[in-house]
Amino acid sequence: MQRLYSLVVVQNGQRAGLRRMHLLYADSERIARDTELDPVLAALETDLHRHVAEASPDMTFLHAGVVGWKGRAILLPGRSLSGKTTLVREMLRLGATYYSDEFAVVDDSGKVHPFTRPLGIREDSTYAQTNYTAESLGAVSGVKPLPLGAVVICKYKVGARWNPASLSHGQGALELMANSIAVRNDPRQTLRRIQKLVSSAVFVRGTRGEADESAASILNLLSAGNRQEKE
Amino acid sequence: MKEREYPRARLDCLTREFGDEVLVYDRERNVGHCLNATAAAAWKHCDGKKSAPELAKLLTQQLSTPVNESVVLLAIEELSQARLLVESERPVRRTSRREAIRAIGIAGAIALPLVTSLVAPTPARAASCLANGQPCVSNVQCCTGRCGVSSGRCNG
Repeated sequence: MQRLYSLVVVQNGQRAGLRRMHLLYADSERIARDTELDPVLAALETDLHRHVAEASPDMTFLHAGVVGWKGRAILLPGRSLSGKTTLVREMLRLGATYYSDEFAVVDDSGKVHPFTRPLGIREDSTYAQTNYTAESLGAVSGVKPLPLGAVVICKYKVGARWNPASLSHGQGALELMANSIAVRNDPRQTLRRIQKLVSSAVFVRGTRGEADESAASILNLLSAGNRQEKE
Repeated sequence: MKEREYPRARLDCLTREFGDEVLVYDRERNVGHCLNATAAAAWKHCDGKKSAPELAKLLTQQLSTPVNESVVLLAIEELSQARLLVESERPVRRTSRREAIRAIGIAGAIALPLVTSLVAPTPARAASCLANGQPCVSNVQCCTGRCGVSSGRCNG
């Protein structure tokens, strides 16, 4: 066993002058407490995902949105609030298959596995998220691992026109390294899997405006890449 | 000749090749570097025994394109800035990118060495996390790894 979680749920009813807290422990360390249970459960989910991503011996976890398109994976690496989920959601609307809005999970052969947690969508200007399954958005979740087709590094800017530049494989691999959860713990395995992952991928970087314009263009990019490969 | 008279590549870094480029991971500083073909070739030949003119000759052969001493000096400068060379006791001759371009001409600019560096993230920074000021109940939720006990918001 690598990590033991203990959740202490308090009964309803408050005693005067005493705030009763739900508590979450990881091993012997208290990692969350709150009077509401939902935020504590959310913290449990976050810690569990993070721990699996960090400690998995068989897979490398990259922080990225992922969709499947024409038998290949498209990765959208990026930090929180960079608009990954918005772009993933738009690509699902255009017919892509859902793989993740959080992690690209890469195996030893360089294939990308699904990590299909519900999409956490921010529906207004606050940071609060609502979770939606891909199916509730009319999309399909991927099941089988896919080879990588494209990596798209983008940031959102109001009114920007999507006109990306190509990146070399080395530059692209460096960007993936910078979004790898466990690279500090296990750089050797991380770089080895990234090397396998990127062998036949297209890399682009740019600034995007609204997701609907850039999503279609990104999917077309992979279609163009497939055409070139066949030629 | 002193042992470290000429530039010497660090041997304690992890490397992976991507075509002509090399990805170098510095475990001491947790920084990744992408070396383009010219920088990678120069780095591989920096064994502490070769002078800049000797390196230029080797690179010319390896890259099948003329590489002059200015380019080598620029490569050494870039590699040194990225801390990919063993620190020398003797000051290294330096050159700037502008000087190197002037020396080889615009047409030859394709051969200029380039080292791109990015810091490897901590797990907390790499995964989805909450920015400062956002409500939290656990350190694990915050990008900074700190959830204020009394404020109930990410800080630090």
